[in-house]
Amino acid sequence: MEIEGIVLRVFPRDTNTDEIISGKYKYDELDLEKLAVHTFEAIDEKFYEDAKRTENPILVARENFGCGSSREQAPQVLKACGIKCIIADSFARIFYRNAFNIGLPLIECPGFSAEPGDRVLVDLKKGKVVNLMKDMTYEFKPIPMFIRKILDAGGLLEYLKREGGFKV
Amino acid sequence: METMVEKILGRKIGRKVSPGELIAVQVDLVFAHDGTMPLAIQQMEKHLGTRKVFDSEKVVAICDHAVPPPSERVANVHKFVREFAKENGIKIYENGDGVCHQIIAENYSAPWKVIIGADSHSCTHGALGAFATGMGSTDVAAIMAYGMTWLRVPESIKIELTGELPRRVLSKDVFLTLLGILGADGATYQTLEFLGEGIKAMSVGERMTLTNMAIEAGAKTGICEADEKVREFLRENGRENEFQPLHPDVSAYYKDEIILESERIEPMVACPHKVDNVKSVSEVEGLEIDVVCLGSCTNGRIEDLRVAAEILKGKKVHQEVRFIVYPASRKVLMRAYEEGIIDVFLSAGASIGVPGCGFCIGRVVAVGDGERVLSTQNRNFLGRMGNNKAEIYLSSPATAAASAITGKITDPREV
Repeated sequence: MEIEGIVLRVFPRDTNTDEIISGKYKYDELDLEKLAVHTFEAIDEKFYEDAKRTENPILVARENFGCGSSREQAPQVLKACGIKCIIADSFARIFYRNAFNIGLPLIECPGFSAEPGDRVLVDLKKGKVVNLMKDMTYEFKPIPMFIRKILDAGGLLEYLKREGGFKV
Repeated sequence: METMVEKILGRKIGRKVSPGELIAVQVDLVFAHDGTMPLAIQQMEKHLGTRKVFDSEKVVAICDHAVPPPSERVANVHKFVREFAKENGIKIYENGDGVCHQIIAENYSAPWKVIIGADSHSCTHGALGAFATGMGSTDVAAIMAYGMTWLRVPESIKIELTGELPRRVLSKDVFLTLLGILGADGATYQTLEFLGEGIKAMSVGERMTLTNMAIEAGAKTGICEADEKVREFLRENGRENEFQPLHPDVSAYYKDEIILESERIEPMVACPHKVDNVKSVSEVEGLEIDVVCLGSCTNGRIEDLRVAAEILKGKKVHQEVRFIVYPASRKVLMRAYEEGIIDVFLSAGASIGVPGCGFCIGRVVAVGDGERVLSTQNRNFLGRMGNNKAEIYLSSPATAAASAITGKITDPREV
């Protein structure tokens, strides 16, 4: 599975799920498309607008992206913004599960370097990510087979439906 | 030779487990609240075409994050959860019953259980010797439908607290000290096992502050031994028959070991806007504050209210400070009432909220632009309390109470 897209933003370490989507909205709005308008609102007002304008937007982040609350609304709104994948030095654990569970791929690639606007190519199977702009190739530890199956099915529940239960 | 978590997960799947391997386990209890249950229900419906849970005894719903509903939209969200609970015959805890973690601890948590909650602070239940962790709505939807989940068996870090804490130094100060050492991702994918004489001396309520905050270091969970203190807690809640001891093997393998000398721990705060931005109270002493919040799943228990009341007794909250108290559960509130604690708070000038998450997430209590809050909650992220122009400092209940009196961050040992 390959993903090619444009780096929309580069986030600093410990970017948390409260920043991605504030707790003050998530109880009011069950429609994720409508909730997505508030993505990163407190720290990045133009995020939603820019994401919608970009073709295949990809996010880059440093360590511990998605830390904090278990709110699945966080990866859900990013997906609703059109984000194709997130490449970070590392991810917080619950966010990591939540993203794959809804079919949003995450790439743990410490040291990956990119700037907004760079075009990148991710090869999930080979564990390779290329910054086409800078002509730099980075290798990452391939995603475990079980998690790739979840991704291939389009998410955890689709996987379970297909397999009839957990086959770890 | 196994850690506590390896023992629980091994017993669950009927063979020894090793850190790093992926396993599928049966879940003893799954719960979600008004912020996470609606999405879990939607996911079940959308992808599995069902709203039926696998076992009505093992699924619990709680309305705690925005209670009473501050708008008709939230009231409708609660209605959506209520209807789901009713048609499945599952237990729902209502507005005012308390924060999910306190309710689950009082009524369901027990040693050796596997507990999954759709809330990141579900690791709290490790204080009773359970394997407990937080997951998102889709994972919880899967558990509600299949009764199972997948886990990566975590490596464990041993945290040893050497002895009893000095006067007015609390378990919150221990964890904030630890956060300064580990950082916000120092324990990612791993378990924190809290051991030593200092932990043995703590009540389950005090231990729950430690396990509650394990996630703030990125940990999958935190866990304490199931000892006589756990038996006592279960007895108080009418469930002593659910007690089973749990201890790690003497030669259990830990990836890392941190020893905290109890006499050297001092009152701590986490400064804006990161949980691991910790300083000792002495470094920020005198900083003026506008709001003091006591409560939450971190520090809203009877132990916490007692400590604060002891400091506030016969005193008044500073005239330029709003002091807001949210007991963690109805049971805690009733007990505080019986013990005269609520009288102390009200006489001092506090406002008492409906048991629940209250101020912690900015849904039913908001703060103004540029205001500075000192709170006993677990997170101080930008905008956490609904306003990204406010500053949040985190502290123990003792520091919160002392500071409420003086109007500035104050060392509780000095009042």
